Amino acid sequence: MIQNFLSMNGYGLFVWASFLITLISCAIVFHKTQKTLKKYEREFAKEINELSAEKRKSVVENSKIASQILSSQSKTI
Amino acid sequence: MFILLSPSNIFHWIEKLISFINSIFFILLLIALSFALIFSPPDYLQGDSVRIMYVHVPSAWIGLASFTCIAFLSIANFIFKTKNLIIITKSIAPLGLMFTCLAIVTGSLWGQPTWGTWWAWDARLTSMIILALFYVGYILSHKFILHEDRANKISSMIVIIGLINIPIIKFSVDWWNTLHQPASIKLTGTSTIHSSMLMPLLLMFFVMLVYCALIFLMKYKTEIIRMKKKNLKRL
Repeated sequence: MIQNFLSMNGYGLFVWASFLITLISCAIVFHKTQKTLKKYEREFAKEINELSAEKRKSVVENSKIASQILSSQSKTI
Repeated sequence: MFILLSPSNIFHWIEKLISFINSIFFILLLIALSFALIFSPPDYLQGDSVRIMYVHVPSAWIGLASFTCIAFLSIANFIFKTKNLIIITKSIAPLGLMFTCLAIVTGSLWGQPTWGTWWAWDARLTSMIILALFYVGYILSHKFILHEDRANKISSMIVIIGLINIPIIKFSVDWWNTLHQPASIKLTGTSTIHSSMLMPLLLMFFVMLVYCALIFLMKYKTEIIRMKKKNLKRL
């Protein structure tokens, strides 16, 4: 039964290749996108932390995005 | 409306949506794959090779829909000059290119057992290759043109010109004699696909749409942070 499922009546190579190529491509794109996002979040948080206390305060107060990234970064740390 | 949908207003929701999709995606994928590979019946003529349809057709739909979406958003950007629209189009483009390439590759894998050839320069296949080239042009113009306004203008022009190709792809199977079969699913009129195959197809399409939403949100978030990072350097 498993043999039949894998061979797909002789079309197994084409069917499995199609599904595997699709799944692997999607997985690679997901991994790369997630990695880039994490990298940018880390760098952004680092740059904010490197600012002077006064500037950092004004950035966090004026930008919802900055404060959210900082809080999510502190959670991961 | 543009203010309501501004990045700072929706950033919080983007994070919540990403974690929600992450939590349900694998269950959805498993269900869709079970239907596509196990529960759906083989075709009376094509046998089990018809299962390639479950990845090929949704990929092609997403490739076409993404490009149409990018083109209309680029036209809207010409009118309203909103930076948010550019961020959205830039986030959609890589997904559209990936799914267009997947449609071409899986189509080739379907072509070999059914047509006896991996590739033929017929109207549908050639117009899909042209679509992929328009995507490449769009992405490269953003990557290599350093002047942001110029990059936006050139990339917008590329997709607006490329929009002509969309009806050509859609109707190529009706206008020319092609190896590719005509559409089995019609929005207007009766579809010629059996419900036992239509259901897994729509399920796979839904799962791929969820995947697209996830990647789009992650890319959109990255673009927003990149923009904020640039602003930070100006301080």
